[in-house]
Amino acid sequence: MAQNHHRGCHRRNHQETVGETEEKRSKFFINDHADILIEILKRLDGRSLCVAASVCRLWCAIARNNSLWENLCFRNVSPPTSSVRSVVLALGGYKRLYVGCVRPVRSLLGRVRRASMARDEVQLSLSLFCVDYYERLGGRNSNGRLVGESSPSSLMFLCKPVNV
Amino acid sequence: MKRNHREISGTTDYSCGSGSRADSSSIGNCIKEKLWEEDHDAGGMDELLAVLGYKVRSSDMADVAQKLEMLEMVMGIAQEDGISHLSSDTVHYNPSDLSGWVQSMLTELNGPPTPNLDPVLVNSDPTSSNPQHQKQNQSRVFNDDSEYDLRAIPGVAAYPPSNSEPDSESTRKRVKTSMSSSGSDGYGSDSFFPSPQENGIPGAVTEFSTRPVVLIDSQETGVRLVHTLMASAEAVQQDNLKLADALVKHIGLLAASQTGAMRKVATYFAEALARRIYRIFPQDSLDPSYTDILLMHFYETCPYLKFAHFTANQAILEAFATANRVHVIDFGLKQGMQWPALMQALALRPGGPPAFRLTGIGPPHPGNTDALQQVGWKLAQLAETIGIEFEFRGFVVNSLADMEAEMLEIRPLEVEVVAVNSVFELHRLLARPGWLDKVVSSIKAMKPKILTVVEQEANHNGPIFLDRFTEALHFYSSLFDSLEGSGVTPSSQDLAMSELYLGRQICNVVACEGMDRVERHEPLTQWRTRMETAGFSPVHLGSNAYKQANMLLALFAGGDGYRVEENNGCLTLGWHTRPLIATSAWRLGTTESGL
Repeated sequence: MAQNHHRGCHRRNHQETVGETEEKRSKFFINDHADILIEILKRLDGRSLCVAASVCRLWCAIARNNSLWENLCFRNVSPPTSSVRSVVLALGGYKRLYVGCVRPVRSLLGRVRRASMARDEVQLSLSLFCVDYYERLGGRNSNGRLVGESSPSSLMFLCKPVNV
Repeated sequence: MKRNHREISGTTDYSCGSGSRADSSSIGNCIKEKLWEEDHDAGGMDELLAVLGYKVRSSDMADVAQKLEMLEMVMGIAQEDGISHLSSDTVHYNPSDLSGWVQSMLTELNGPPTPNLDPVLVNSDPTSSNPQHQKQNQSRVFNDDSEYDLRAIPGVAAYPPSNSEPDSESTRKRVKTSMSSSGSDGYGSDSFFPSPQENGIPGAVTEFSTRPVVLIDSQETGVRLVHTLMASAEAVQQDNLKLADALVKHIGLLAASQTGAMRKVATYFAEALARRIYRIFPQDSLDPSYTDILLMHFYETCPYLKFAHFTANQAILEAFATANRVHVIDFGLKQGMQWPALMQALALRPGGPPAFRLTGIGPPHPGNTDALQQVGWKLAQLAETIGIEFEFRGFVVNSLADMEAEMLEIRPLEVEVVAVNSVFELHRLLARPGWLDKVVSSIKAMKPKILTVVEQEANHNGPIFLDRFTEALHFYSSLFDSLEGSGVTPSSQDLAMSELYLGRQICNVVACEGMDRVERHEPLTQWRTRMETAGFSPVHLGSNAYKQANMLLALFAGGDGYRVEENNGCLTLGWHTRPLIATSAWRLGTTESGL
């Protein structure tokens, strides 16, 4: 989709430079309208969002926008309060929350999915996210364990492939 | 039984190290021989033994095995009954010399070079008829002209002539010694005639002739393993330490044939039994930071601690529903892994977060490191990140009973709501009489709105050792099973550390006594009685906790094995049908005073 987009743009440009040069450029170029782009990207799923982030620098910058990932996390769930936002942002941001917790939780629980569980899933993800942040906190740790640099091990159980 | 005595031609096994090669099979030989003498019919013979020249009906194998056990027990007991020569002609295997042992096994399979290697055969006069049988049996087997044919080797050392007199034990030992060294060097090598005195292994005498190689059915050995464990514990119970010791060594051999959880459990229990027998008690006062590391691995590998934390947090959260200032007293702060989730939940509470105060209690750490303060500092960082007013205080005490409520500076009820949390801490207080009561009265003085208690669901505090042992065996078998079968494949180091964490508990339950035995787990019903007698009334944990716990477990691959159950308002987490830990919540006062 993205490829066509760009090809289309180029073709249009080419045509314009070749053709009617005096005609004002009234064609629509999505990159000029970041807010529309965001609205579109908001509706994507996680994987597509990551793919979109690799299209170009602009899209990459936009895809890093927390509101996109927030939308992803809270899809099918009533929108979060502002306090949630501040907490999540402080703990590392929505993208991290999604990739680290929400997505594995959702995929692991997928087989027993019920609509009512969506909120609980997010809450559980938030708790695990917080525990993970705490574990990653560096600090004067006496037992020599490089807590700050070690991989978040408390979420290890989420990362292992499920052998269904 | 007396007949067996007379026909004993094998030797008992007293290994010099921890590696045991219990050869009850050598004793079993003569049993089988006896059966052979009685001329059982040819049909239904066990094939493997038939190769070795023993005719034993397959249906009799169980019987044979049982007699093996019995005989070994008798051997242990009847030391002084005129078979003391058995203790001197011991079989010692160097545990590190695995290749030598394998070679010796193979040697026997292909027929031992000389029946004379069996010292007892020659020694015991009443069995003079048997050596002939033995020889014949063994020579009949020998038909393979492989490299194991030691007769090809010139000289006396490797394969002495069959008529040589057993003039002295040293001669026999000499022969065997050279055999063992040849076993390790490989056949056909030049170093075949070592001087026996050079052999560094003290009393290293290997015994070849009477070890038939029998394929071991793993499942059957599993059952035998459990039986041997129980028998050993029973022997300890009856203060029959020699028998217990012999059985413990047998366990080592049986455990080697097992795999997975059963093997590990058996190994830990065998080690604990051995410690109890030899009175080499483990030190409980190990560096607490080391136990913390083990605990962290246990936390990461399996859901038990996470379950405990999440369910306790849920109860505390519900108790704190309307409070503006809250105070949590944690009886075992360790790394403080329970509190981030609670703090996050408090931060996102509708209506805003309360001021959160945490008092952490922990054991002293060696050196000047203040572990509690470091944990407090980390939690403070987290609190600042998520926007909660946080206050921390740490108390270092040797045991909870040393703590007084006044030390904690409890603020009045109108100002601050108190919750007391104890995860796997209260059972330690049962080691000394009066301690639990003291702590309970301290708790009451703190006037908590809620007291959350998480304990193991097992009865490891009965008065009779054998009962404790049996209970512990079942409990830790389930626990190890869940570690293995949960499908989560943590790095082997994580798994090993988690198992070590549990192994230390096993050691404490089995090997220690008195004040050292701190792992005094008691089942939920007993804790309930204690709490209610002390004046607490139960708080039901609610469906939120149940849902969350179920969801948490579903995240663990192999979550099918884990089971959350509700038990009169308490939640238990178990593996398949066996509940393993239980969370309960309590508040002061009788049930009528408020809900």
